[in-house]
Amino acid sequence: MTNPMDYQFPQQLYPSFYNGGPPDFVLKHCAGNWGCYDRVIPQGSSGPLSGWTFASRHQARGETWHHTEPVPVPLMSPKNCYLWPSKPPNPLDFTEHMQNFFLDHCRDAFGCMAEILGDNFEQAQMEGVGRESVDNLRSTLDMKKFKMSPLSYSPNSLHAYCSLLSDVVPAVPNELLCSLLHEELTEQRDRALFSEGATGGALAFVPFPRGGSEPQRGCLVYPGNQGLGCLNFHRVEMQSRRGSFSLLDASSSDPFRFQLKGPIRQISCASLFDDCCVAVRSERLCGVWRVGEQNAPRLLQVVDTREVATCVSASPHVLGEVLVANESGAANLWSVGRGMQKVREEDVNLYFNAKSSWRWCEFSAHPRVVTYADRTGVELTDVRESPISSHTLFHINNTSECRSGERLILSRYLGDVHTFQHLITTQYSAYIMDERFPCLPMLKWDHMMRSPPMFCHAVCGSLGSSGSGARATKVLLGSQNSQEITLLQYSGGRAEASSSRGPLQALLRPRDSLRHLPVQIPHRLDLATSRLSSPAAGLTCIQKRGGRKGSGEECICILQLTEAGDIFYQTLKTEQLETSRPPAPEDEPILKEAMTSGAETARQLRPPHPQPVISDTPSDESVIGPTQDVAVPGFVTETPEREQRVLDANSDSSAEGREPKGRGRFLKQYGLQVVVNDEPDRVSRSYKRVKGGEGVRDNAAEPSSSDCATGPTERLPPVKLSNGALATWKRWLQKSRGKTPRPCCSQHLTVKTEDILLLDNEVRDPTEEEEARAQSLWRDLRVCMSKRSLLVHGAVSTPLQAPGAVPVADAVDTEAWRDEVSHRLTLAWQSEGAWRAWWEERLGLNREEKVKALRGKRKREKEAKRAAGRHLELSGSFTSSASFQLSDFSDSTGWSSAVDRGASSDTDGNLPQPEGFWESGMPRVATPSSTELERGNQQTPSSALTLSQALKRESTSANRRRPECLAEDYLTALFAPQDKTLQPHSYFLEEESTAHHPAPAPPVAPSSFQRSLLQDLSQSASLRSGLSQSSQGRLGQLKKKKSRMGF
Amino acid sequence: MDDLQNDLGPLDDLEDDNYSSEDNSSKEKSNLHVVYPMLAETSRETGFHRSTRACLEQIREALLHHRWQAAAEFMACYPQILEDPTIGASQQYKEVIWRMSAEILHNHPKSKMEDYNNIYERMKHSGVRHFLMISLEHSFHLMHHGHIEEAKHQLSVAESWRYGKESAAQFQKTKLIHAYRSLLDYIIWCDKKFTYSNNTEYYDLRDNQDMQNYFRQASVNLKEILKQPGVWDPFILSYVEMLEFYEDHEEALNVLNDYAYSDTHPRNPNAHVYLYQYLKRHGASERPLMKELKSLHLLVPSHELMPEYSALLLQSDEETDIQRALGVVLDLLDFACWRSNLDVWKLLKAIIQKLQLQEDWRNSVAEKMAARKDWWPALHFTRFHASKDAEENPELKGVKASLTKILCPDITLKYTA
Repeated sequence: MTNPMDYQFPQQLYPSFYNGGPPDFVLKHCAGNWGCYDRVIPQGSSGPLSGWTFASRHQARGETWHHTEPVPVPLMSPKNCYLWPSKPPNPLDFTEHMQNFFLDHCRDAFGCMAEILGDNFEQAQMEGVGRESVDNLRSTLDMKKFKMSPLSYSPNSLHAYCSLLSDVVPAVPNELLCSLLHEELTEQRDRALFSEGATGGALAFVPFPRGGSEPQRGCLVYPGNQGLGCLNFHRVEMQSRRGSFSLLDASSSDPFRFQLKGPIRQISCASLFDDCCVAVRSERLCGVWRVGEQNAPRLLQVVDTREVATCVSASPHVLGEVLVANESGAANLWSVGRGMQKVREEDVNLYFNAKSSWRWCEFSAHPRVVTYADRTGVELTDVRESPISSHTLFHINNTSECRSGERLILSRYLGDVHTFQHLITTQYSAYIMDERFPCLPMLKWDHMMRSPPMFCHAVCGSLGSSGSGARATKVLLGSQNSQEITLLQYSGGRAEASSSRGPLQALLRPRDSLRHLPVQIPHRLDLATSRLSSPAAGLTCIQKRGGRKGSGEECICILQLTEAGDIFYQTLKTEQLETSRPPAPEDEPILKEAMTSGAETARQLRPPHPQPVISDTPSDESVIGPTQDVAVPGFVTETPEREQRVLDANSDSSAEGREPKGRGRFLKQYGLQVVVNDEPDRVSRSYKRVKGGEGVRDNAAEPSSSDCATGPTERLPPVKLSNGALATWKRWLQKSRGKTPRPCCSQHLTVKTEDILLLDNEVRDPTEEEEARAQSLWRDLRVCMSKRSLLVHGAVSTPLQAPGAVPVADAVDTEAWRDEVSHRLTLAWQSEGAWRAWWEERLGLNREEKVKALRGKRKREKEAKRAAGRHLELSGSFTSSASFQLSDFSDSTGWSSAVDRGASSDTDGNLPQPEGFWESGMPRVATPSSTELERGNQQTPSSALTLSQALKRESTSANRRRPECLAEDYLTALFAPQDKTLQPHSYFLEEESTAHHPAPAPPVAPSSFQRSLLQDLSQSASLRSGLSQSSQGRLGQLKKKKSRMGF
Repeated sequence: MDDLQNDLGPLDDLEDDNYSSEDNSSKEKSNLHVVYPMLAETSRETGFHRSTRACLEQIREALLHHRWQAAAEFMACYPQILEDPTIGASQQYKEVIWRMSAEILHNHPKSKMEDYNNIYERMKHSGVRHFLMISLEHSFHLMHHGHIEEAKHQLSVAESWRYGKESAAQFQKTKLIHAYRSLLDYIIWCDKKFTYSNNTEYYDLRDNQDMQNYFRQASVNLKEILKQPGVWDPFILSYVEMLEFYEDHEEALNVLNDYAYSDTHPRNPNAHVYLYQYLKRHGASERPLMKELKSLHLLVPSHELMPEYSALLLQSDEETDIQRALGVVLDLLDFACWRSNLDVWKLLKAIIQKLQLQEDWRNSVAEKMAARKDWWPALHFTRFHASKDAEENPELKGVKASLTKILCPDITLKYTA
């Protein structure tokens, strides 16, 4: 379909500079070449000023194309497919993969050595470390390196073996496995980001008959099945239905299928007359099929390219000639049935070292001149001459306004559009090159796509069919990873220089379609999301030219293949709204019926009283509202009374309840037939809408666009999803199924942690508690400051307690516990001496001493009887000395902290008291902090009163016991003075906490008390043999004072 | 302020690195993904930056999806970014605002000329570095809408504008501004010529001072831009026209020859066409014309002047010329757009008929066809071609069929009359 006028060359070209040298231009903004005219040329001949017009290279006005549906529609029902994670893998995750391998395939990972070592382990290990244990052992070992293992409590012996055998047990050495995995993951990541193998696209459409203007029939060639390894030739037909075009499978025919050995990467087809030659490229195989309207597809030949093939391109000039390029840099001209002819071979890149082995070949206007491209540029190579002569067509460096880092992505001969034009895309721009004037682009766009355009399809503008001259040529660029499709329009290249028409337009992407569709149940939503966002794999377009009678309008249908094997299509109509409207009423009644019935049903469905779910509907409403507001006027123009009803229904429901309104609205919006009872689950879920930010944006934008009613572009109501499309989508969503690459894994040993965690759950929130403590600390500090005292540990109220020990148990009634252990414990709490004495008594160690003491007692009794009058004075001196000791002690050390530890335990009420305590009658000083203490301290429940009561009781009980152990007490007091310290110590607690003594508490290790206890034990042990000098010396002062006790 | 500048420094460097680091092959692939610097998140961002970035993203999306009104509304908010002292001063933000605003105005149904002038004037003066670019675009806009005088005024203002060091881009912009101003001078010159020619004699017109002033003004700059490597078709055409008018043929030929044969210029087929047309206009003999067409043939063997060339060659009496004519026509027929052109096939037939007068015509034909014999049959003489030609152009089929035996004597073709 070449235009015979293609031989014309533009009489004048747009001025431009011709630069050499590497480009240093860096675009720092994201607006590309928006808004600029990019040179003008004068048109007109020497005449008056008014006779001149100027044509700009970028023309603001162009054809406007509108979508017929707001979403692309799936062409076929979904087949099974493998869904790969949409996020590219991180190469540094290889440890995780190793771990999975060890766990899931431990037999493969460790099988060999397990075979060999298993028997030995069985003999050596009594606990039966069998073959499987070795496997487990290995996995344990390896996982411990990377991550906490669920098996980490396996026996210690296993760990020992682990460290011993770590480098021999795996079947594949770890280092090797690591590096291989890393390499593989890196490659996978790169492939996920940009897989150059897919360049060109694996989707093609062969129209039958060629160039007809009837509703298009043709053969769609696409890869199918899992892994895209099956080549399908499917007859399709574009049908017009109720004014909108949709693509339907010819139900009569099933596709012809050819199963290939590898995934299909590229399909290139060229047709001549009624025959079409379809060249297919997979990784290392290239095949050529022949298909025509009359005859079934037939495989002509398959070749095995030893290197990875990067390009296949069928000749538009001679059927059966195919160009094949591969990664070794060779380009071959393959005449099917006759063999290969090497056309060109380059070891290095053409113009500079781009470190890329990607090569691309296309035919050109001359059947024996081919383009040879790599990432740095394109050359035109003449095949006929033996020392191959070639000249530059496109050169990154020499093309003006190339940017730094720009690389060629795709070069495509636009033979169908213009004999001499080539399209070249880079990651930033798209260029139209004319091979008659190489090196300088005729036209350049910044295509604004985020990932590089790898697929393209050019649609020739129909010539003069609409009477307004030649229409613009449409170029569709498709990117892989982000599924973008961009529509560019341009004209010229013959008598006039090429100029772009209108702004570029981004088309719909399958991945964005879910937000226009009813909400799915979560697992289906996930599945659909990942399936819809799988990278694009191909792009093609079916063009329907306007009929000669002017009845049909021009439209293009763009098909996009994704790697999941789905094909989506979207139809674009050119702006002829007035003519496209008339067919609409045909289907609108149906739509409206559904609408009103939807509203009514919604009213019936309304629950008697509002449910709590409603609370989130206002936000829902804010999302949907604008769309509806716009959607309603769309109907209004033709049937005002309908609108009234709709509005009534709205206001009704909004007055009475919100949920039903949402439902009604949904129904209206989609013209959904209400099927409440069929599948309650699906339908009820479908009422809700996605509340994505995208949705908000779209809808927020639209109402304002309807305000502005002058321009033709703005007058359009937003496109609504038609019934048919919605039904197709629903079917598709229900049927879509995907397999994740790692469908199952073996059962792992799991450790249940619920019981452990339960405890933690019951504990109060630690942060809250922490805060409360901090606040009480602040309070204490403030109090201390106001008193000009120091904030010592004792003055602090809450921090004294360990968190969680607040509810202090009631004082233990020691009388109630009369068994041996309880008695011993009670004594242990009383004093160490008492405890030791108990043990000594129990073991009979103190028999001698007892006897001795008894003797002494009797002796003393005798003496007492003799001097009966001196008894009172003795007791008086005792009390005075006790009080004196106290002041001494409080000066000395940080017993307080040790005491605190004791105090914090639950037997605070049972403070051991010396018998002389109450006799001493030490006045309790009432200070603010003491009240504080009573109010908020650890003894809160039992307060000072109960404490004193308990103490009194204790002291009385001690008094009662006194006759038995008095002498013993005295003895121990004599020999082990540390024991003595315990007695004032318990009192000291009381003193200290009242902050009577502002003595600073030097930091003492909390364990000092225990340490001293240990010391005491050892000392008391040595006491039996005799007095320890050191202990005597250490407590010399104490002894001195005690000597005043009158012993 | 210095601190701010310092803070900005590394950011810019980072951006530059993203683009310039292309040695690493693993980076190579990720580099192919376009990261638009203004849309990417930066390390030092405030909430304001985030929201303006989001706004920019919205404008972009709206522009890409042709929601002009939405874009306009977002655009109304976006210039706030200029108030931000840290990034608002950067050049690219101003350029983005200008470009996006202009794009919206281009497509918005309610855009008015005042809006354009407003945005052009404001953005022009908001920064020095893009003054020339916006001035140029402004003048294009005015020219496009027929305001030639205003456009010339804009260009004159931009012409006299000086700012600091000239970068390469600025240098080129200056040159372009000069050239376009001269182009407008030429247009005014044409206008004057037109108005004066109605009431004065042709020779008096040449002495018209007014016109000569315009010519002089224009010629200086036009001559200047022709020295730059590039494509200057409209400029050279206007310059040559004025030179022709003042009968400075020497200069005109010089300029045209220079444009066609200078190594610095790209190989522009139009340069040869202009030279050929000039020579033809001034009645040059066949030889220089053929020389011109020969060099054009080397450049573009499919050019529309090639039939003319082969016709010229055919008129010549030399044997080699006829063979050359055969070559030229065969080359033409290689290309798809000529393949069903009846005139060319007729020309081929005429050439072969003339060639047949020579003794060894078979050899010369075989020589030309040697490289073609394995694909020409498929290109021209298949059964499908036969049926198609019979249907669309029976005369063509007759001509073609008569030539099959001569062109491909060894092969039996299915292309039969």
